[in-house]
Amino acid sequence: MTQENSGQVAPEPLLAAWITWTMDFWDTMAQMGPGLGGAGRSGGQVSRETAVSGEPWLAALNLWQAFFSLLTEPGTVTAVFQGIQAPSKIILRMAQAGWGGYFYLHQQWLEGWQGNGSPSGEKGYENLDQDIFKACNEIFEQDFRRLLNLPHLCLTGLPQEAVNRATEKFNQFQAAMAEFIYLLYLPVKKSLRTMGAEKVDGGQAKPPEDFKDYYKRWLKILEGHYMTLFQSAEYIRTLTHTLHALEDFTLAKQELLSEAMAALGLPTRREMDDLYREIYLLKKSMKGLAQKIGRTDPPQEEG
Amino acid sequence: MDRGKIPVDLIMAKLAADARAAKHRLERARDIFHGPLATDIGATPYELVYQTDRVRLKYYRPEAARFKTPLLLVHGLFNRETLLDLQPDRSIVHTLLKEGVEVYLIEWGSPSRRDQFLTLDDHINGYMDDMVEFIRRRHGVPQVNLMGVCLGGTFAVMYAALHPAKIRNLITTVAPTHFNTPKGLLHIWMQKIDVDRLIHAYGNLPGNLVNAAFLLLNPPRLLLDKYLGFLENMDNKDFVENFIRMEKWIFDSPDVPGETFRQIVKDLYQENLLVQGKLRLGERRVDLRQLTMPLLNIYGQYDHLVPPEACEVLTEKVGSRDTENVCLDTGHVGIYVSSRFQKETVPMIAAWLLAREG
Repeated sequence: MTQENSGQVAPEPLLAAWITWTMDFWDTMAQMGPGLGGAGRSGGQVSRETAVSGEPWLAALNLWQAFFSLLTEPGTVTAVFQGIQAPSKIILRMAQAGWGGYFYLHQQWLEGWQGNGSPSGEKGYENLDQDIFKACNEIFEQDFRRLLNLPHLCLTGLPQEAVNRATEKFNQFQAAMAEFIYLLYLPVKKSLRTMGAEKVDGGQAKPPEDFKDYYKRWLKILEGHYMTLFQSAEYIRTLTHTLHALEDFTLAKQELLSEAMAALGLPTRREMDDLYREIYLLKKSMKGLAQKIGRTDPPQEEG
Repeated sequence: MDRGKIPVDLIMAKLAADARAAKHRLERARDIFHGPLATDIGATPYELVYQTDRVRLKYYRPEAARFKTPLLLVHGLFNRETLLDLQPDRSIVHTLLKEGVEVYLIEWGSPSRRDQFLTLDDHINGYMDDMVEFIRRRHGVPQVNLMGVCLGGTFAVMYAALHPAKIRNLITTVAPTHFNTPKGLLHIWMQKIDVDRLIHAYGNLPGNLVNAAFLLLNPPRLLLDKYLGFLENMDNKDFVENFIRMEKWIFDSPDVPGETFRQIVKDLYQENLLVQGKLRLGERRVDLRQLTMPLLNIYGQYDHLVPPEACEVLTEKVGSRDTENVCLDTGHVGIYVSSRFQKETVPMIAAWLLAREG
């Protein structure tokens, strides 16, 4: 009996189609990401400035694609669906592809630490290249955010909107936080590069004689970089952006909780705040009146 | 070609020695952590003499009082007042008691959402004035001595300018009064903060946000070096106890009432109204020329939170003719916890007060 005859659809072509679609999707992502032009499977030239920060991003995409390329190879999918007759071979090949990408990512980081790549100048934090954050944000803004903003109808519409709003604001906060943390990491990178430049003496590697002295020197350099960063316009902009994202998320979360509390018949935050304000004003006017008629009781001792 | 040999044998020998030392240190540390540790803060005995809302007044009685005028200590709102009584050998309260001073200390407590509408006026002309009135009545004296710490010092300056008849002497320690200075990260960041959004979202300024902001002032020292220092000294019981006490204090920042924080940011950090004589509390303007009592203004040369530039202008702006600036060779917190401050500066404060006791 054939699969068609039994009314079932063969899984192999579906999986293969899905994998191909997924690869195309990430390929498109790689090409649309700012600074990653032509960075997909088709290859292409990437500018030196943007390539540095884009490389870990590119490496992650390559890893993803290598993994899926393996899946699309003839026989792989069949093997998976036929009880995995040669699991060790497939797993080995997948692991090789995975580890290759993983090590490439680490290589990028290590090169960055050693000073072979730099996302910004030696001094100052202006004109930072943060394309990876912009790319992620654009993906979220252009695709996922639209889904979260679909209008909801009927009885459950309002709670769903509150959930979606909280989700949206949470994602935006996470994106802002990632950018902020990246900025906080830059002085570490810069200081290590400075130390890396110091370690070379006449073209020969010179191991530090006293680790503590070496550490103290690094710490001082690191402090200097942080002080420069903290006074930069870029830091203040990112800090402000992160704080705003946190505030928006907090408000959206409170709105969601208020919906739930109202549904349970509990006083909401807004209702309690109104009550607190009334008590505050009442106490203040009572104190003012007491002072006016000269009947302020002297503060009483405890106990 | 001679490529410069790396002394691998020496490096390995050093690593082995370090590993042995680390193992011994860990063993000793394990014994310390398993044993009893004295990490209480604010342990000097006191009486709770007055309370209104969340705010309490502590009274510390000396063995032998040498002063007729009691001293009221006012701490800021961003941290706990326990900084002034961190441990017996590093306690301003304890040292003042030894000098024979009767000490009162305001505990601002833990503001909740109920307190979000409290203003600077409520803190200064409300709570502080109630406490001063209480102490005056309790001791039968017309005036009290006032000492303000950090933002508590700024509060003390405002209070003394509005109620000069109730204050005999004023002492400020690391108290910012001139906020328009590019020195100090806090001053730079506060210029840009959108305080209305923050208070709209939270009601009060969350204590955890304050903690995070303080850590960000110097991440290499506060997030790395400090803990490496701890690892190096964790076999020293005194060090461990002191370290834990300080950690307890640092990460115990209370929330700050929203309206008060809004005023601090807008009127002080952004508009710098206090030194210009334009700050209004309730219906009254704070005129620093009304501050006519003796003033001792202490600050730290290496204070990155409240730099000297934010403190030293005060003596030029007040109406008093008996003023003194004292710049100490230390930072913001060091002024309260360093053994030198306990040994030299607190007795100097006591002597300064005694000379003006009358």
